[in-house]
Amino acid sequence: MTVIGTNTARIDGPAKVSGKQLYSSDIILPNMMYAVTLRSPYPHAEILSIDTSAAEAMGAVCLTYEDICVYEKGSASVVTGPCSRQNEQAVPAMYNERSVSVPNATYRDRTILPRKARHMYEPIAAVAADTEELAYKAMKALKVEYKVLDAVYDPLEAMKDGAPQLYDKIYLGDKEVEIKNNIGVIRKIDEGNCDEGFARADRIFEDDFELPRIYHAQLEPKGCTAAPDAEGGITVWATAQSIHGNRQLLGRALNMPLSKINVKKITIGGAFGSSIQVNTVTPICAALALKAKRPVKLLSSREDDFYSHQKYPAKFHVKLGVSNDGILTAAHVTALIDFGAHQIQPLAFMGCTAGWFASLYKYSGNIRFDGTAVYTNKTPCCAMQGYGNPQINFAIESMVDIICEDMGFDAIDFRLKNYRGVGQEFWGQGPTIRSIIKSCGVEESLIKGREIMDWDKRGKWQDKSGDIRHGLGLARGFHTSGTAGPKEGEVIDYSSAFIKINEDGSVDVVTPVVDHGGGTWDAIAKITSEVLQVPLNMVGLSPADTKNTGYDVCTHATRGVYCGGAAVYHVATVVKEKLLAMAGRMMDEHPYQLELIRDDELGQGVIYAKGYHQKKMTVGEVAKLAQINSWGTIQYADSYRQKNCPPCFTTHFVEVDVNIRTGEITSPRVLIYGDCGTAVNPDLLYGQLIGSFNRGLGYTLYEDLPFDEQSGELKNKGMLVDYKMPTSWEMPMVKNVIVRHADTFEPSGPFGAKGIGEAALASVQAAVTNAIYNAVGIRFHKLPVTPEKMLKALKDGVKEVY
Amino acid sequence: MVNTRILDAEFGYLAPTALDEALDILNSKNKVKVLAGGTDLIVHIKVGAEVEMDYMLDIKRIEELDYVQLREHCCDLDEVCCIGANAKLSRIEKEAVIVERYPALAKALSLMASISVRNMGTMAGNICNASPVADSVIPAICYGARIKLKSADGERVLPLEDFFVAPGVSVIKPNELLTNIALPKPKPHTGASFIKKTRVRPDVAKISVGVVIERDGDKVANCRIAMGAIAATPAYLKSIGDSIVGKTMSEQLIKETAAAAARTIKPIDDNRTTAEYRTAIAEILTADALAEAWKNAGGEL
Repeated sequence: MTVIGTNTARIDGPAKVSGKQLYSSDIILPNMMYAVTLRSPYPHAEILSIDTSAAEAMGAVCLTYEDICVYEKGSASVVTGPCSRQNEQAVPAMYNERSVSVPNATYRDRTILPRKARHMYEPIAAVAADTEELAYKAMKALKVEYKVLDAVYDPLEAMKDGAPQLYDKIYLGDKEVEIKNNIGVIRKIDEGNCDEGFARADRIFEDDFELPRIYHAQLEPKGCTAAPDAEGGITVWATAQSIHGNRQLLGRALNMPLSKINVKKITIGGAFGSSIQVNTVTPICAALALKAKRPVKLLSSREDDFYSHQKYPAKFHVKLGVSNDGILTAAHVTALIDFGAHQIQPLAFMGCTAGWFASLYKYSGNIRFDGTAVYTNKTPCCAMQGYGNPQINFAIESMVDIICEDMGFDAIDFRLKNYRGVGQEFWGQGPTIRSIIKSCGVEESLIKGREIMDWDKRGKWQDKSGDIRHGLGLARGFHTSGTAGPKEGEVIDYSSAFIKINEDGSVDVVTPVVDHGGGTWDAIAKITSEVLQVPLNMVGLSPADTKNTGYDVCTHATRGVYCGGAAVYHVATVVKEKLLAMAGRMMDEHPYQLELIRDDELGQGVIYAKGYHQKKMTVGEVAKLAQINSWGTIQYADSYRQKNCPPCFTTHFVEVDVNIRTGEITSPRVLIYGDCGTAVNPDLLYGQLIGSFNRGLGYTLYEDLPFDEQSGELKNKGMLVDYKMPTSWEMPMVKNVIVRHADTFEPSGPFGAKGIGEAALASVQAAVTNAIYNAVGIRFHKLPVTPEKMLKALKDGVKEVY
Repeated sequence: MVNTRILDAEFGYLAPTALDEALDILNSKNKVKVLAGGTDLIVHIKVGAEVEMDYMLDIKRIEELDYVQLREHCCDLDEVCCIGANAKLSRIEKEAVIVERYPALAKALSLMASISVRNMGTMAGNICNASPVADSVIPAICYGARIKLKSADGERVLPLEDFFVAPGVSVIKPNELLTNIALPKPKPHTGASFIKKTRVRPDVAKISVGVVIERDGDKVANCRIAMGAIAATPAYLKSIGDSIVGKTMSEQLIKETAAAAARTIKPIDDNRTTAEYRTAIAEILTADALAEAWKNAGGEL
């Protein structure tokens, strides 16, 4: 029996359930200080001065703008002495927290601490003391002089002449860029001939869609512990999806050689994308520790976390051309993105959004995308499960439903005619990262889903009656697996690994890849186990950090298994060759005449002469003899880049019940079809698919983050008590959550695997609203669809809700 | 900025083991706040609500206040069910006498907050928090609950509905402690119901309705209706309930009564829902609650 594809207990399960797994908040060091941040009570204000004397008199160490390491303007050399507000030639390192794109596709607009607060509760100073309570008290003793500025919250208002300006100049790569009317990024993509495609269409459909800001609500609020060492270096334990991303940014922000910075790989309490970028608290914590010359721990409160990063909201105008025989002839999407006070790569976000849009259907090759991303005085937006994919999927999959309803096409047949499948191009990370689709579960999911869910019997909303209206809707989606393509593009993608065989036949794996909860480490151990035929419990995942590993870009873009796992697969394959070479030398056989087979009773692999199994050595015997003979350790380290970005597909068939007396919407039953190629661990696949359906229900029916435009505060004040997410009560009963796994094999993936994490969310939203349409005949163009909105639409007899 | 991680307050902490001791503390010290479960008090302190507190009086160790029991006489009532100030919500919810005699209260408690909160919180605390939406209060008012307020000077008994003044404000005096709740024994042919609408299931209500009806054949012998989250205090709709006493129950009567109840409410917009929505569903929920209570009383429609 193989290890890959079977259900095995998660390797980090025992440590997690027994509370022994260490998170950054568990790191306690001798002589450690605790820090808190001071956050601006204004959404837009110049910070004229910060008086730290009262806090310092309490024994606290304070970090303000004046303490940040500064560079001479336009040069790489560091100005000595503290940063001065008067010296315009001395500027702190300016960066973008997210560093997965190449430098010349990265806008930089922020510093460790700002001279100007640009959103409510932006951190503007930090205070460390012997206890967290004392630090909190000292923080409250800071005296800040502000010059309060007008704030702007609406992106359309922000683009008007005379609106409050968040920035004058920022950087794109090393180039200074002027910001006008708060427009952060404009991105236009035009392929084929849209004008000709629309001219050829028999019908043209145009409509608007809007999705709210929501919050990641990862279990662990972002934290950091940083410890300076005697050699002038610093060790950092941070909530991070990329240890190397953290190291490189800290090197730049603190002006330290990378060899002096060690970022430890550590467990994180979930992410949903919230730690792809270097978290705002991390450089603050490191700078404060260097100033204090003591270890410092800085943990976010849940409220800090709400104001740190949120999901990108989106407004779309979609135009699709359709022929009478049900072929999409052209597509044009206009996007308006309100990304808040700092750029965490809305350039890449819009490129990706365009890519997800372009890759959903063929549109006869005629695709146009016009995106505008705008600064506002709100919390900055970062990636969150899908990076634009759930947003644009909601718009396009709603439009497809609208077209099918209007033109009388069957929604499954229409999709089968127009989707991009095997042999077609897929944009894995915007227009510059593309590869050809080699595995595809779309057909299976739609054809089998039709039967399982009795699609043809769903009926029309006009024929339904009673207090509870039942509807069935579907949507399909995908996400990329990683951000690599045959050619280098805007986005960096490769991983690294080191593997050695121990003298008892067990194996150590060192990988920089972070597991943000999906089970990436589990998959890495299983891939190693399968390649080297070593029992899973004999694979050790070593502690790793930025000093002892090669680069890995980040556990983002659903790339953990497909890209991180592929690097491990590649290195393990070389280690196997070395093992067989070594064994051949010992056994007087050519390596290709040997075979390696796992022996669970022996707890290791055994090398046999092919066809003559009487001749054998265990892996441990080979490794031990190699060591005794001083021939060396069987080991290998390398980096590896995938050359594809295969889509992992999902299809959701969702049933809803709409209570027309109260407006309440529930989902009594769902079919979730996932296509991840080979499922490395089917239970974990099902967990991701079911969990993401829950998050999708939240996005569609519950979650929103309205701001109070008077104060700039979130209406929930950053508290979970007023940010309701669906619980298990809001899910269909367990027996009614039907999960299917498409029978596919990705030729470019490790053992045929591709990703699933972000795909699992992509099509939930439109499937739910399409089901709502099927139940009551009301098209919701804006999320979330709350009982309040539903009841109002029902009472007012409105059929289109924007 | 709200910070729920760090408790930014300094206060004396007192944890007596006897009721008399606690009453002495309330009588002799100023600015004392009582901690029973802490699921409201600690939250109020953390979120920066104005809590004037020099001392926190933790009553959790006072064992004599931890009971749910039938008594022949209490709070000027006979044959009552008495709930002590220290009885946890999760215990009350599961007590056989509550489940059998006061099913609407058991239901309200089972729908309240999360299991972990119910394991900490108390019904007395839920009452003293004086929230207009308190889940335990709505059915308790319908069942005719009374409460006992004790102090070093003596004690007084109040109908529960007379306890509330404004959001977070009640008639309790600084030296008083709510020691127990008394629920009278329901008469034969009594039915009750409790309906609550929330954002997600473990949540504070957008709106809640409780009804207790006593049936005399096909006529209403007595009816008490209460609603949560539609005014500044938990609302006992006495005149609405009284207006149908002696009348023959019918779907038409339910419709008229629900409409009358909905006309009395003064809801607001908040983070949970809108005044518009509260108004829209108040009538529907009241009608449903009346019908359910009537059926539970053995009545037919």
